[in-house]
Amino acid sequence: MRSEILRTYRKVHTWTGIIAGLFLFIAFYGGAITVFRDPLTRWVDAPNTAASTDFDRAGDLIAKTLAAHPEAAREFSLLVSEKRDGSVEPARDVQLSWQKSRRDGAPFSASLDAEGALKVAQIHPSGLFPFIDIIHRTGGLPFNRDIGEWIMGVVSGLYFLAVFAGVIIILPALAREIFALRIGPNVKRMWMDVHNLIGLLSLPFHIVIALTAFVFCLHDLMLPALDKVVFEGRLPALIKAGNPGSRPPAANSPPATMLPPQVLLEKVAALAPDFQPTRMQYRAFGTQTATLTITGFDPRHMMRLHGSVVVSPVTGDIVNAEYLPGHGGTWATITSAFFALHFASYGGTPIHFSYLLLGLAGAVLFYSGNLLWIESRRRSERKNGSDVTQTRATRIMAAITVGVSLGCIAGISSAIVIGKWVSGRVIDPDLWHMTAYYAVFAGCVLFALKRGAARASVELLHFAAVVTAAIPVTCFLAMIFPALKMEADPQINQAVFIVGLVAALVLFRLAGLTQRRVEEGPADSIWSLASSPEFQVQRRERRFPALSLPSIKLRQR
Amino acid sequence: MSDLESDYRQDWIGKTSAGVLLGFGLAITLAGFIAWVGPQGPDAINKYQFVLWIVPPIWLGTAAACYFFSSGLKAWLWLGSANLLAYGMMVLARSLFH
Repeated sequence: MRSEILRTYRKVHTWTGIIAGLFLFIAFYGGAITVFRDPLTRWVDAPNTAASTDFDRAGDLIAKTLAAHPEAAREFSLLVSEKRDGSVEPARDVQLSWQKSRRDGAPFSASLDAEGALKVAQIHPSGLFPFIDIIHRTGGLPFNRDIGEWIMGVVSGLYFLAVFAGVIIILPALAREIFALRIGPNVKRMWMDVHNLIGLLSLPFHIVIALTAFVFCLHDLMLPALDKVVFEGRLPALIKAGNPGSRPPAANSPPATMLPPQVLLEKVAALAPDFQPTRMQYRAFGTQTATLTITGFDPRHMMRLHGSVVVSPVTGDIVNAEYLPGHGGTWATITSAFFALHFASYGGTPIHFSYLLLGLAGAVLFYSGNLLWIESRRRSERKNGSDVTQTRATRIMAAITVGVSLGCIAGISSAIVIGKWVSGRVIDPDLWHMTAYYAVFAGCVLFALKRGAARASVELLHFAAVVTAAIPVTCFLAMIFPALKMEADPQINQAVFIVGLVAALVLFRLAGLTQRRVEEGPADSIWSLASSPEFQVQRRERRFPALSLPSIKLRQR
Repeated sequence: MSDLESDYRQDWIGKTSAGVLLGFGLAITLAGFIAWVGPQGPDAINKYQFVLWIVPPIWLGTAAACYFFSSGLKAWLWLGSANLLAYGMMVLARSLFH
């Protein structure tokens, strides 16, 4: 290949990477956690959730709720869960919930007590994991969500360019150096190998994530163009035809008798025996135009976030099975696979953990990319004879890299801890975990800018480790002090405990390694504390301590 | 080859604009062509979603690959012709299958 082309793509890779890298770090770190949003939501809400009723009494529950609260007939949901009482026969529990409006964050929840009397309570579910999902989608940008997603759409495009350019520039070296991992005194070479190795091994994952994220963020840009050029104005009608569950039911429809929920579930089970329903959403209950959307999952298939099927509660007919796993049409099935590849909504727990690891590896990829940018600039500056005094841009970029990455980790950990402690105790839990995230994130970035990357990397790693360690501590306290009323399903609680503990230990280890590097690394390196203002007072730039690459320096023994 | 190599110009603005703008046009029209010639016609249930999903690989692939062109002008000429060709193919397919 021509050397000019390679040089051009090296520049494309560098600049798209440096612009998109930190947004992608946040998106990947948040996304890796979002994969587990369902069990984590149960963990954070427990045990302050609404009471459940035996599913056999679901029809009675609906009738009594609507008698007392007729306004709920417009739209309500039955939340279906497997009973966890250890009984051999599979049995289900149900909660009925409805909201005053779609945006109302405090739904009402109805249940029946042992005597069959209706109990209604307003619940305040934690918005913690929806919030982490928004951080994932918007990169944590504090704008309105649409703007955040547009920006992340552009970031996804740059990310695709960076991946493409990265593949081009590595091709000539590929045959020579594939899977090389030169651990040794040349730290930059080692980071380069780590970056290339992760990038190559997870290349299919990155292509998939870049393209799918681009569609999720920018479909509102592409659909109108397709409508004009290809579908000649028929697109809105085609979209409606593909998804009848989203159609608002007609007003003043004549009354009708509804089939019992058990019968409707049996109709779906007859078609798809392995589909496990989790939610039955009724609209216009008690009328001819009533619709029921049953959401659930079947890990043997590739689904959108969930699978779903639309049923008529009047006749029991399947109205739309496009998104019922294994029963959709050609096109819905193909596109469901694209969604599933992004959301990890296939294959169950092993795939979820694979995505967790791929997501975290992606975060390391972007972090190492930024470090390489800083390293290359440092080297060229030294060649020019300016030695260890760094340009403002390099210093700020290093500090921002450290502050944003570690601020995101510490911010999400503190949001989780605060979110769990306030869950069920305050009226507005969202305010608490949002404040925790943004305060910690902004604090870390400012701290890194003020302290300089060298010191901040060690101190913020320690800070992130301590905050993250508070997660397993919380799990432990919730378990041994039931009086705290925080205990979740023991299985989920143990899983959160273990993952939180491992994360905290990894962060402590990284903090230790980075500290050693800062203190013992070669004194002529700008990554050493030795070149910081305290050691060399005569240095010109005193406002910013010199850089230290927060890298793993393996000792030569 | 060495005299050819010197022909390569960076032309950041020319190539990037060609890749982003003409890449978008190419992606929309090629997706439209596939919508018309592919099985079941463009109005099949939920096929519009598939058509939407074809756009980003073509668009971003073009935007990413256009630095292989040796100049911005060449990028505009080649991708412009590709746009016209794809649009013609789509109109032809539409008139044949309508």
